[in-house]
Amino acid sequence: MNAREQEYRELFMAEALEYYDGMGRHLSVLERSPTDVPALNELFRLMHNLKSNARAMGHAAIGEVAHSLETIFGLIREQQRAFAGALVPVVFTGLDELGTMIRAVGASQPLPDAAVLLENLARVARGEEPVQPAAAVPTAPDTPSEEDTRKLELSDLVYIQVRKLDKLLNLVGELVIDRDRLLTLAEEIGHPALQATARHLFRISDDLQYSVMDVRLVGVGVLLNKFPRVVRDVAAAEGKEAELTLSGQDVQIDRNVLQMITDGLLHLVRNGVSHGLETPDQREAAGKPRVGQLRLSALTERDDVLIEVADDGPGIDTEAVRRKAVERGLTTAALAAGLDEQAVWAFLFEPGFSTAAQVTDISGRGVGLDVVKRALDSLGGQLRISSVRGQGTSFTLVLPTSIAVKGALLVELDGRPYAVPLLHTDTVLALRPEEFSVAAGLLLAHVQGQAVPVVPLRDLLHAEGSEPLPTADKTQLHGPQQVLVVNYNNRRLGLLVDQFIRQQSIVIKPLSKPLDTIDLFGGVTLLGSGQVCLVLDVPALTRLFVARRA
Amino acid sequence: MNKRILIVDDSFYMRTMLKNMLTDAGYEVVGEAANGQQALEMAAATNPDLITLDVILPDNTGLDVLRGLRQQTPAAKVVMCSAVGQEVIVSEAIENGALAYIVKPFSEERVLEIVGSALRGDAA
Repeated sequence: MNAREQEYRELFMAEALEYYDGMGRHLSVLERSPTDVPALNELFRLMHNLKSNARAMGHAAIGEVAHSLETIFGLIREQQRAFAGALVPVVFTGLDELGTMIRAVGASQPLPDAAVLLENLARVARGEEPVQPAAAVPTAPDTPSEEDTRKLELSDLVYIQVRKLDKLLNLVGELVIDRDRLLTLAEEIGHPALQATARHLFRISDDLQYSVMDVRLVGVGVLLNKFPRVVRDVAAAEGKEAELTLSGQDVQIDRNVLQMITDGLLHLVRNGVSHGLETPDQREAAGKPRVGQLRLSALTERDDVLIEVADDGPGIDTEAVRRKAVERGLTTAALAAGLDEQAVWAFLFEPGFSTAAQVTDISGRGVGLDVVKRALDSLGGQLRISSVRGQGTSFTLVLPTSIAVKGALLVELDGRPYAVPLLHTDTVLALRPEEFSVAAGLLLAHVQGQAVPVVPLRDLLHAEGSEPLPTADKTQLHGPQQVLVVNYNNRRLGLLVDQFIRQQSIVIKPLSKPLDTIDLFGGVTLLGSGQVCLVLDVPALTRLFVARRA
Repeated sequence: MNKRILIVDDSFYMRTMLKNMLTDAGYEVVGEAANGQQALEMAAATNPDLITLDVILPDNTGLDVLRGLRQQTPAAKVVMCSAVGQEVIVSEAIENGALAYIVKPFSEERVLEIVGSALRGDAA
């Protein structure tokens, strides 16, 4: 086989398998809604391509089966046949058979005989009953050759329970900690062979860690694809007209991360229809199309996965939220007046907050968006909000791709290391005392034109009972100050630390008793030196600061 | 100067095969589009002498793309690519300004013959 033939063969196989997967997906759509035109169009197109490519490669049998199926989908699309009755199992058998044939091509094995299948496909295309029940086509094998055919039908996919993957991931976490310890020891001892072995172990376990993380990844589509139905139901119940656009279904994310945000995303999407979209009449009056647009999209940004829920509705009424936040006792009128809109919008995600004037069947019952924040907090995720009055609102969930390993910044305070997850760190600054200002008892740093409150991390960690934090005193600052600016729920806070150590990947372990009651720490990690390092819980620190500021 | 050709087909395999055939024969393949929108954009950007157009495309039917191309880049000659069994679409395509059609699976000889005569301007 020359190089070009080899290339054609590889291209054919890659596309054939892709088409085959796509066919399975669209066929399951058709199973739920037998007249779905987009699914029928895609099935027709994929069959057509598979047929053409197979014929060009000289795989006439695949071409014939694909051609028969293409014909059947064409007939269903033209409503001359229905995806129902005896036709359905024959079509499924046909797809299975195509899969077997494609795999046989990939393994350079002879293709199975498709005579019975082709006869059945021809019959159902004519509207006749198949020669024998399709489900019984792979009849009880009594010859070795049919036994071989059955073996070929074993799927290449293995289903694994998530808890087994969880265990694997935990073991890898332990391994990574020991590896770092070993590497540090090897450097200290300075034995060349030991160092080489430790470095090798480092590479292997790194590979293992990423392989395990990779196994747990699923396409965001498995969740997003459930939403068209949700939107339809909510819109119908609320008298809205809504069109949902999905994108980025192929973006990969850890299965458990996806699981944890499922409820939150459901609330956001429901909310998007019931609060995010006006009624058709209101929209028309505002000069917008009657049908509201809802967009649910996923994309990858560095190590994070972003899932955005966006509507083209009225936008957030910032003043209404501000009033409500005061009414609900979430803040004081004086403080609320000084908050910028990002800080005001953050109240939407506080427990018990709801601006829905009427309690509807779907939302506005006062439960809701705080679910989103809780899920994000436990994942170490972030929420971004943007909204323009009259044009729409977008909520973006920033999620870690994997929960196993997090990027963290190590800082030192009073001789001890602390880890801060990178998801919550904004920037680091070294400021001279005269660069700070003091207002209302708060130390302020000016970061990119914004006044950010700064507090010594020591004060937060030592805050006792319900005493307010000590009043800021600039005269106590001597020499350059190291400020770590953290970001949580659109609020920025500067933390004074002694020094920045370095950035590194950490494996977070839960705190064991009795430390697990200290809610300022999200967990603990072991550094390569064997030193225990507490992981700061930025949401908890921010809440403490807001509650206790002088 | 070599004649410049744009290939429109949603199968990467098909595009690669066509490109190899045409490049070997001395044509310049100026672009490969996988769907109708790309086809229109690339045709506008590259202004090719000839476009090979698959009749079945994901985001549009090939016929809609054909009409768009005839309007947008009328100087480009269009040759339809189809498999056996699409005679109805093909005859509609000819009515809409396609010059000729190639039936999949391609034979290299036939592809070059049709493309050559379409570029020269005689009927295929």
